[in-house]
This record gives sequence, structure tokens and C-alpha cells, in this order.
Amino acid sequence: MLALVGAALAQPKVFRGTEIGRPGGAYRVTAISDPRTWNPFVARETSSTDIIALFLPYLTAYDPYTQAPEGRLARSWEVRNNGLTVIFRLREGARWSDGQPITADDVIFSATVHADPQVNSNSRSSFILDGQPIRWTKVDQYTVRADFPKPYAPALIQGWYIVPRHIFEPAYRAGVQRLQTLWNLDTPPAQIVSGGPFRLESYVKGERVVLVRNPNYWGVDERNNPVAYLERYTVQIVPDLNAQLARFLAGDADTFAAANADQVAQVLERIRAGRLRAEIFPNVDVTLGTNFIVFNWNNKDPFKANLFRQVKFRRAMAHLMDKKSMIEVALGGLGQPQWSPISIPNKAFFTDDVPKYEFNPQRAQQLLAELGFRTRNRDGWLVNSEGRVLEFNLFTNQGNTVRERIAQIFRDEARKIGVKVEYRPIDFNELVRQLTSPAADGTREFDAILIGLTGGIEPAFSRNVWELDGSLHMWNLGVGGKRPANVEPFEVLIDNLMRRGATTLDQAQRRQIYVQFQRVVAENLPIIYTVAPAYNPARLTRLGGMFPREQINSIVGQAPYIETVFAKE
Amino acid sequence: MFDYVLRRLLQLVPTFFGATLLAFLVIQLAPGDFVTRLELDPTQDRESIARLRQQLGLDQPLPVQYAKWLSGILQGYLGLSLSYKTDVWNVIGPRILNSMVLVVLATLMIYLIAIPIGVYSAIYKYTWPDRIFTVLAFLGLAIPNFFFGLIMLFLAVWLNDLTDMRLLPIGGMTNEFLHLGNMTRAAQVLFPFALLGALVYGGLFWWRARRRQAATFGIWLGLVLFGMSALLLLAPLLQGPSLPERLPYTESPLWARVTNVLWHAFPVVIVVGTSGLAGLMRVMRGQMLDVLSQDYIRTARAKGLSERVVIYKHALRNAVIPFIAGIGGLLPGLIGGAGLVEVVMAWPGITPALLEAISAIDVYVIMGLITITTVLLMIGNLLSDLLLAWVDPRIRYS
Repeated sequence: MLALVGAALAQPKVFRGTEIGRPGGAYRVTAISDPRTWNPFVARETSSTDIIALFLPYLTAYDPYTQAPEGRLARSWEVRNNGLTVIFRLREGARWSDGQPITADDVIFSATVHADPQVNSNSRSSFILDGQPIRWTKVDQYTVRADFPKPYAPALIQGWYIVPRHIFEPAYRAGVQRLQTLWNLDTPPAQIVSGGPFRLESYVKGERVVLVRNPNYWGVDERNNPVAYLERYTVQIVPDLNAQLARFLAGDADTFAAANADQVAQVLERIRAGRLRAEIFPNVDVTLGTNFIVFNWNNKDPFKANLFRQVKFRRAMAHLMDKKSMIEVALGGLGQPQWSPISIPNKAFFTDDVPKYEFNPQRAQQLLAELGFRTRNRDGWLVNSEGRVLEFNLFTNQGNTVRERIAQIFRDEARKIGVKVEYRPIDFNELVRQLTSPAADGTREFDAILIGLTGGIEPAFSRNVWELDGSLHMWNLGVGGKRPANVEPFEVLIDNLMRRGATTLDQAQRRQIYVQFQRVVAENLPIIYTVAPAYNPARLTRLGGMFPREQINSIVGQAPYIETVFAKE
Repeated sequence: MFDYVLRRLLQLVPTFFGATLLAFLVIQLAPGDFVTRLELDPTQDRESIARLRQQLGLDQPLPVQYAKWLSGILQGYLGLSLSYKTDVWNVIGPRILNSMVLVVLATLMIYLIAIPIGVYSAIYKYTWPDRIFTVLAFLGLAIPNFFFGLIMLFLAVWLNDLTDMRLLPIGGMTNEFLHLGNMTRAAQVLFPFALLGALVYGGLFWWRARRRQAATFGIWLGLVLFGMSALLLLAPLLQGPSLPERLPYTESPLWARVTNVLWHAFPVVIVVGTSGLAGLMRVMRGQMLDVLSQDYIRTARAKGLSERVVIYKHALRNAVIPFIAGIGGLLPGLIGGAGLVEVVMAWPGITPALLEAISAIDVYVIMGLITITTVLLMIGNLLSDLLLAWVDPRIRYS
């Protein structure tokens, strides 16, 4: 009788898949490395969070069709006080896999721990806004309230994981050390409680993580059948990309993302030979990651610092980017040129309507001449009237062949018009050190660095790059978290736009702000973008509930929800 | 003798401290630390990065970090892995075991094949089989292991296509599910091949051995191969018909789990073993040639001893001495794992874990592996010295 009442009260989330599936079957993916932990307060890398996301719930996420926020554990929400307060209503009747109800207490407890500076959770930035905390309070058993110091646009995307309070609270009371060692990889999987579509079944180090359906999950499909459809979800750990390809070609993995044209060709060839029942979608989108060159405005050499500050110089450099060759040579023909800071797949904010400085060495030469570099010396390098050679060094991180090739192409084009570029790949950590650690007088050593950032769907999350006091304001970095000593007007404008973008709630207005932001960046080029690698997903045809070609994108992936993926055979 | 061992053991202490201190310094000399890569993440703020450094103890001066680590080691505690938040031993222990499977099998294969072939090549030098072995040896030495591993993977895909069966695994160490019926069938397919291999191998020696002595090795090896494949075939039959066709790995009977690991190990061991095999074959041949030209062999022959006694009792015993000295290197080799082949063929051994630890600068995992390797290297050296004294009559330690 009690069970019946529980079922009647449950307010399940309806997952709208691409088709109605059927229960059962297994889904097998490959991962490049082992997870590090099952503890969401410790996890810092996708190898862990990708799996944690399968068994821990979160309040809200992006609708895979529209990229607008939608409720997950939160059934609905209400914005009050001009955006200063958001009230989330949870799904009543949702339960953890051990039978305990998921309630506001779990949410408040998780928020408290994530926000605790001692715990140092990776999600902590979701709990502070410009140095002031966001307050989370319980209204009743199924209602929580968040109070913001000022309106915060990404507030509705609460991607932090909610943990079962009855498991974590005793450890939290016993101290941060205890909390951090809870749910590590040696914890028996049976002890890990799930509130998501799957629960952990087994983990063999270096081999595979197996998850099985969580029978207590609070999701259904449009016909009110429980989801996830899949009975098993297996992550095979294959640390080599070629070995991952071999697994997919052998039909041992259900999905694969081809890294380059060669891998695409191998998959295609096998499909054509009738040896693999699969589909591949080459260049269907580009990945979120970026590659760009940044010049050091705080150079030790005042001549160089001043040169790099000249927008004409940066535009000349942008005119030297042969993006066509970069795509051909560095990316194997698959990819797209990038002109502005918001990743191309981010349809909600991306605009293509920005100033573009196309490949044009003559124009670059002309711009450099306007800066005084008119003649060449005996060795063929451009010099100014004082005989100063136009030269700088360019570093990128060793081992990233795409970046190494992009850098070489850029260097070769620059040399053709007499710009002396000393290109050298160096260790990644050394690169990061040079980029992010200014000396006490505010100067840094390097001239130019080719590096990238992993892009996200929410532009406000990159505030550290664009705001003047950000820790990754990498072209003009201040010392000790302060603003840089010398700022250009356009930097102030960007800083302003970023702050407005984060605190404006209206979606149309936000888009306008970020469109303007992209134009300002593209025009002034504090960061000169290069090319974005292609997203070339492939999958076996035995999978159902996947996106058709036109809906695949690199943010969501090949299927709208893992809950609605199913095996056809 | 006892004095000697004691002295050697005492010498290990300063060596150990020196080696680990050096390793610690070298790791720390590399730019950056465990937290550095987070600095390029736009969502991380300065305070949380600084706090993380402080929590992990990375902000403390190097001598303090080393002293803390050392005090742990003296109590048998290898430290806490920075990225896994668990005892280092939990991270590397299972990996060491996995690697050992490969290394033990590869070593067995190398010794079982290299020594007889080396002996054979030396006795029948400049014959056609010797020349073929020489060419194969140089090929084996010339192909880089990781590349050979890749070739092996695609060879497996190709072979499986060709036969429409799962003859070879596509990387990994175990299957998620074991298809017991398939395994029996695979054993049935493999059995004739093993039998054929054993016959050819034994026959080759038989045919070439004019005085039959060299054939002993061949026949013996052939029998081993034959026995192994027979076991593979018969093991499932011993279990009776009550088992379901498909079982999760963890719930499968022991024989199925062991044969599954062996099946996965087979191509990897071939890849790992080839280069070692090639080298050792040449060393053995050289040693044997060297010994066979010695005066005492001529004396023995002149005395009318049978060729079998001359070769196996006198020559071989002296020729294998350097191999015994090499056993010392075997112990740390067991811990060192099989190198990049493990990465390419997704074998969850030490090298993938070590590479991961190095790229994440997970100091204590790296130090843990170095410590264990150092200790084993020292013990191994001691062991091989003792073994040498026992085998080689020219060496005395007392």
C-alpha cells in the first residue's frame, strides 16, 4: 500500500528521445583514462565526472534540443526579486538507489559542502558571485531557495552534483580529510548510492567501469515507460587512440569520435566493405576547444611590449594566418576557421558576423610598414628606422601535433614577409608558468604563445579570461589578482560586457551582449584565433534513440539523453 | 659468505636514500606541479588553486616534502596519490600484478626459445636455418615494440574478419563477458595449430640433429606446447555441461578467467618477447661459439666423450653463466612492465599508470614505483651475485 502511494506521488521527469525505445541491452564506450574518484567533491577531470554524471543527480541542465535550461531533479523553478532569488521545486517521490528519498536536505547539504572553501570542490565557483556567497536555504522538504547577491544569468544551470546526505554527512562532520577519501576507487561499488539513471556495478582498474540501470530512477519516456532503457553501460579504458579505433572497427565499442581524416577513412572503408554496421558523420560540427596565439603585452622588453599593444601589429599577424592550409595540414582537411571567442557549436551565442582579417600577406606587410617596418636588412628581416629587427619567439606545448603544425605554418608565412619568428615547442607546465606567473614588476618572459582553452556552453564561465582582474587575462595580466597597470579602452569595454552578460537574465539581451563582445574581440584581437578541429562522430547502427545527422552537435553529442538511448538488437 | 651478504645488505641503505632523494629532486626539477594544469581552466579562481596546493602540501619546501614522504616509507606507507586520493599502493599494486603476467610469460617464452635456438645456431653455424634465425633476430631488434603492437592489433582485426571468429583479442586484459562455448570452440581451432607447431618445431631439431643430441630440446619444447594446448582444450570439458554459455568475467570459473587472461596476453607477449628474444638468441649463439672453441672442449672431444655430453654438460653449463647474472635484472624488469606496448594494446599494466602519473605530476605514485623498482633492483643484483658464485667456480666470496 505504501509503495503504491509513493508511486502516485512521484513526479517523474519526461525524457523526450528521438524515438520510443525498448528496455534492455548494453552500451559500450571507450575512455582514454581511468576515473580518479567517485567523489564529486574531489573530481576535477572529465574521466571522473563523465561517470559521476551517470549516477548522481543535478538540479538543472541544458535542453539538448534548444540549449535552454531545463529541469532535472528540479521539477520547476521560479525567479523572484528581479532575479535575486530563484526557488527550485524538486521532484517529489524521487529516491536514491538505496531507497531513501531525495529531498531538499540532500540539495542543501550538497550545496553547503560544495561551497565550503576547505573542501575546495571543483564546482565552488557556482557558489560565489564576485566574491560574495550565494545563499541556499531549505523552504520545505521539496523546495529550496537560492539567494544571489546580484542577478546571475547562469544561475539556472546548476551543474553541481547532489550527494546523498545520509552517506556524506557523517564523513563531513569527521573532517575534510574523511570526506575527501569517501567514495574513492577502492570503495566497493555496491556501497555507492545512485540518484541518476545508472548505478555502479563493478570497476576493474585499468579495464572497465560497468554501470547498470538504477531501478529507482525518476525518469520516464513520453509513454510513461521508465528510463534508462539500457540495462548496462560499460566504459572500457583504452589509453591509446588507435587502439580505441581498433575496438570500434571490431564492433567492440558502440561509439567513436574520429580524431582525423585518416581515422574517418578507415571507418568509412570498413563500412563500405560491409564489415561494420555503422555510420560516421565527418565534419558534422567542430569541437568546443580552441587554438589561438596570444602576445605578451607585459613583455620584459619595452619595445616588444609596446609593439604587441599595437592593434595594427596584431591585425598584421592575423592576416598571416593561412587558415586554409592549417585545416589541410594540421587538421587533415576536417575543421573550420575560427574568428571569435565563442565556440562555433554554441548556437545560442555564436555569431559569424564579426570583423575577419583574412589571409593576406600583402595587407600584413602594409600594416607593418605603417608601424615603421619598411625595409629589410641583409638577412632579409624587416627592420624599422632604428634598425630594430621585427622578431619574436613563439612557444606551444610539446606533443600537441595539431598546435605544433599550426605554429609552423604561421612561422613560415611570417618569414616569407620578413618577420622573424623563433618557434619552439616547450613543456606544457612551463608554458602555463610563463603565461600565468608575472614577475613582481608585472613583466613576463615570453613573446607569443600558441595554446587553447576548452570552451564551454556558458560564456559567463570564461570571465577569468576576459575581465581585467581575471587570472587568465593572458595578454595583459595583472599581478596578484589585480588589474594590469596599463589597459586599453577595448579591454575595459570587454570587461564591462562580460560583467553585464553574467548579470543579465533576459536571453535575447544576453545574446546581444555576447554578439557585441565577439565583435570587439575579433576587431581588436587580444587573442588571435586559428582553426577549430572537426567533430567526426561514428556509431554502430545497432543503437537507437540517437540524433539524426542534422541534430548532432559537439556539445550534446550523438544522442539527446543517455536515458533514451537503446539497443535495437 | 654470511659476512658478505650482511655487508651487501648494509650497503643497500645509503644507496636507497641516495637513489630516492635523487629521484625526488629530478621529479621536482620539472616545471610545474600537480595543480599547474588547473591554472588554464577559466572556471578556477586563484584562491581555490592556492588552497588546493596547500591541502596537498605542495606549497611546502622540498626538504619537508621529502622528509614527510621518507617517514611514511620507513613505516611501509608509500604515501597518498594526489589524483586518486587513496594509498599509492592501491593504485600501483594491481598494475604491478598485471604487468607481471606479461613479463613472466614473455621471459618464459624468451628463455624457452632463445636458448635452444642460440645453441642450435652455434652448433650449426652458417647453415640455412642459422641464417634464417639471424635475419629474424635482426628484424625483431629493428621493429619498435609499440609499432609492432599496433600492427598486431590491426592484424587481429584482419584475422578475425578473415575467419569470422574471435581468434585474437583487440586489446585489453579480460572480456566483460566470457562466452564459454566460444572458448571451447576457439580451443578446438587452436589445438591443431599448436599440435602442428609443436611437431614442426620438434621435427626441425630432429631433422637437423645429425647425432640426435640437439633434438632433445626441440622434442621437449614441442611436448610443452602440445600439453598447453591440450589443457586449454580439455579444461572446459572437465567442468560439466551445467554452466551457462555467457557469464560475467567476475562470476566465471577460474579456468575460464585464467584462459581469458592468457588469450589476451598471447599477442602482447609475442610483441613484448620478440625484441628480447632476438637479442638473447644472438648472445646465446655468441657465448656458445666462444665456449665451443675453448681448449677444454677440444680435450673433452679428444677423450672420446659423446657429443651430447660435450655440448650439454660442459659447453652449455659455461655458456649460460651470463644469463644467470641477468636474472638480477629480471626482478626490476618485472616491476618495470612491458613499456609502451601496454599503452597501445590497452593492457592495464604499469606503464600506462606511470605515464598518467608523470603527465599529472602525481609525485607519490611516481616515487612509489621508483622506490619499489630500486629495492628490487638492489635485491636482484645481490641475488645474481650469489647465484654467480654458486654456478661459476671461478668466483668465491668468502
